[in-house]
Amino acid sequence: MKIVVAVKQVPERDAVVRVAADGRGLDERDVTWTMNEPDAYALEEALQLKERAGEAEVVVLCAGPERVQSTLREALAKGADRAVHVVTPESGAGSLGERDSLDVARLLAEAVKAEAADLVLTGLQSDDLGAGQTGVVMAELLGVPHATLVLQVELLGNGIKVKRELEDGWMQQVEMPLPALLTVQSGGNRLRYATLMGIKRARQKEMREVSAAAAAKRVDEVVKVSPPTRVKRTEMLTGSADEIAATLVERLRFEVKVL
Amino acid sequence: MILLLGVSMVGISVAEPTSFSTAERLLVVVMIAASLGVFAWRSWPIAGNILGSKKDADFSLRPVGRRVWEFFWEVLCQSKVIRQRPLPGLAHAFVFWGFLAFALVTLNHLAVGLGHGFLQYAGAVGTFYEVFAGVWAVLVAVSIAGLFVRRFVVRPRWLGEKVSVESGVIAGLIFLLMVSYLATFFVGDKGFAVRGLWWVHTMCLLVFLPIIPRTKHLHLVLSPLTVFLKRREFSQLPKLEGDEDFGLVAGKDLTQVIALQAYSCVECGRCTEHCPAASTGKVLNPKEIVLGVRSYLNAEGPGSEVALLDGGQAALSMEAAFECTTCGACEFQCPVGVQHLPVLIGLRRGAVNTGAWEDRYGTKLFLALEKQGNSLGMSSMEREKFIAKQGFPVFDGSQEYCLWLGCMGSYDPKGREIVADFARVMQYLGTQFGVLSKEKCTGDPARRLGNDLVFGDLAEQGLKTFANAKVKKIVAICPHCVRTIATDWLEYGVAPEIEHHSEFMARHAQLLPKQEGESIVYHDPCYLGRYREVYDEPREVVAAAGTLVEAERNRERSFCCGAGGGLAFLGEESGERVSHVRATELMATGAQTIGTACPFCNSMFRDALGAVGGEHPPQLLDIAQLTARVLFKDADQEHK
Repeated sequence: MKIVVAVKQVPERDAVVRVAADGRGLDERDVTWTMNEPDAYALEEALQLKERAGEAEVVVLCAGPERVQSTLREALAKGADRAVHVVTPESGAGSLGERDSLDVARLLAEAVKAEAADLVLTGLQSDDLGAGQTGVVMAELLGVPHATLVLQVELLGNGIKVKRELEDGWMQQVEMPLPALLTVQSGGNRLRYATLMGIKRARQKEMREVSAAAAAKRVDEVVKVSPPTRVKRTEMLTGSADEIAATLVERLRFEVKVL
Repeated sequence: MILLLGVSMVGISVAEPTSFSTAERLLVVVMIAASLGVFAWRSWPIAGNILGSKKDADFSLRPVGRRVWEFFWEVLCQSKVIRQRPLPGLAHAFVFWGFLAFALVTLNHLAVGLGHGFLQYAGAVGTFYEVFAGVWAVLVAVSIAGLFVRRFVVRPRWLGEKVSVESGVIAGLIFLLMVSYLATFFVGDKGFAVRGLWWVHTMCLLVFLPIIPRTKHLHLVLSPLTVFLKRREFSQLPKLEGDEDFGLVAGKDLTQVIALQAYSCVECGRCTEHCPAASTGKVLNPKEIVLGVRSYLNAEGPGSEVALLDGGQAALSMEAAFECTTCGACEFQCPVGVQHLPVLIGLRRGAVNTGAWEDRYGTKLFLALEKQGNSLGMSSMEREKFIAKQGFPVFDGSQEYCLWLGCMGSYDPKGREIVADFARVMQYLGTQFGVLSKEKCTGDPARRLGNDLVFGDLAEQGLKTFANAKVKKIVAICPHCVRTIATDWLEYGVAPEIEHHSEFMARHAQLLPKQEGESIVYHDPCYLGRYREVYDEPREVVAAAGTLVEAERNRERSFCCGAGGGLAFLGEESGERVSHVRATELMATGAQTIGTACPFCNSMFRDALGAVGGEHPPQLLDIAQLTARVLFKDADQEHK
């Protein structure tokens, strides 16, 4: 069995994020990068599937400039067998900033086709842009069935059974044939920690670089990127203690919905 | 004593057989050869296991002077043996010194049998020596009898559940050796008795020798060497060498020093007696860890690929290895130079560096250190907000000190109070200081849990941060940070000079006001005391804020709070909580306040007092808070 995990490198949660001078992207100079969290869960699911199946190959895939190799190495250290790096320029034409979700999905799908994978896993969305498109578009381009918001995958005789998270705590179990593509939700598994042995072994694992196709014309356009504006609203409740308590409970229950 | 003086005055002397027949001499030679032969035959595999183990890559004899001094003080003077267990310790020391005093007597005794006796038990020197040895013989006989009673009648539980038969035999032999020497003063020159005593003494010696290997009595031969060759630093962890070294995974990873120490263990159980895990009902038993390594070597041999943890040795379990708080009481207590921490942490390194250790809390901690760079898993924004709120100056290279906040000082509410109070003390003293705008964990919990990847990354980043900020001097409120930066980081580079805030405040004691009154019991943090040997400085600070009270176990014998070794971040303990035991002990002093010098101890006691503190628990304050309280008493009262 061959499992391909498509991952993305995103700014770390604590990274200093500044808007670039042109106002349409990020100034990447001081950014520290990490693996997109839902992708880390997708990788974990793949590794656990491999452990359960006994024999499987986990190939980790990422598109981006030179810097994404640190994320691919991390995946190799955690247990992926080899890596494929779709190399895009650092900036300018063909760089990630110039490509939309469809275009990135094309790059990744192209690389997956070459692997003839039984199962493709990826995070359900990215922590930076959060479009949630790449996975499902890839499934369409590959012509395989897909399921989203996946928490668990179970291997059946000739297919898989997946557990999907619906709204409000509802779960759905779906049986699917293989090959298939799943977009994985955070929190379904416990992530493993990176080990010294993993890092050392990762150095000997294959990291294949493939060049990216030229960027297609964007179907959408980024007009402006801006940090969220925070609004702080304070309202003083007045009246007797009983009245205040009653109003407070009502607000907490129906407006803030914490009670 | 009086008896012996009398003996020497009336001129009675040691009686020796004057001549041996050729047959007798032949028998002596054969028996000595047999005794030595059996000794060598039984020692050979042990020597092979020690010498066949991996070389200690980081071992250096230097500084030799210190080694010689420790050999003199710990071996010849028996300092540790006596100090930590005075009564049995003195008894042991008398036996040991008696052996030394007896050395020439013994050699001469055997030489007589071969017709070459060299001691003249006549004249002033000869008479003095035979009486001198006689006095020691009495002391040894009394001491060994006392130790025999202790082992077989009193039976302290640290000596183990099984009664060691060979210890009884050895004690009997030593007793007989002494008695058979002393008796020669009284038999005059009755040929038969003299010859009989000579043979009894000889047989004791020749039976004694082959018993030594393969029993704890091997320490007679090995422990002087072990004390001389022990690693220089407390809890000194060797650097991992090459691409296949992940710590103590299997026998192939055990080093010569570890093997030598394992075979030197005298099974006295002091390590276990003082171990916070063993004494609160956990699986870990440090003595059994050392003996586990020994029996592993006997069973599998050095170079084996069989796993050390959860392999054939019951004592060497994953559960036990991860119950250690790394308090170091075992390593400090050991009278024969066994260093437990590099073994316990080495086993953890082997398990974590290869991913064999799976633990929900441990994984969470490692991921927090990987991603957030602090052990509490908080966003670094929270630290920035705290710094801004306190108005701490940011270090820019112009200030004398860099005030290191640490994870507790940055994110823990109580740790923040401690840091804030210490900053007020520094401001009062007019000390110029600044805090780093970005700080990551020193890697202490990762280091103690055996995660070399996370520790190494954090150490390298930390060194870079200090270098970039041009920091010259650091002061910190956390003994774990101090130890890790000053000692553990050395694997990656030399950090700027660092000290604990107790050292800083003690140095400025004359500028700080004093106050009398409330009684304060001071708890020695392991990482400040045993790890750094700082005992007096925090006491000086406490004594300026009230009346210093000592807990039953204090200074080098202080009992752990339960937080060290990364255990503060792991799940619930099995057995009794270490922190409850210590908090109860501190409360038993009746002190109004508990003074701490480590934010982790403080946090553990805060929880413990909630559980076992009763209705009116004592106050719990860091030494910085004690000082700040005296300094700003008036100001704070006005503020209220």
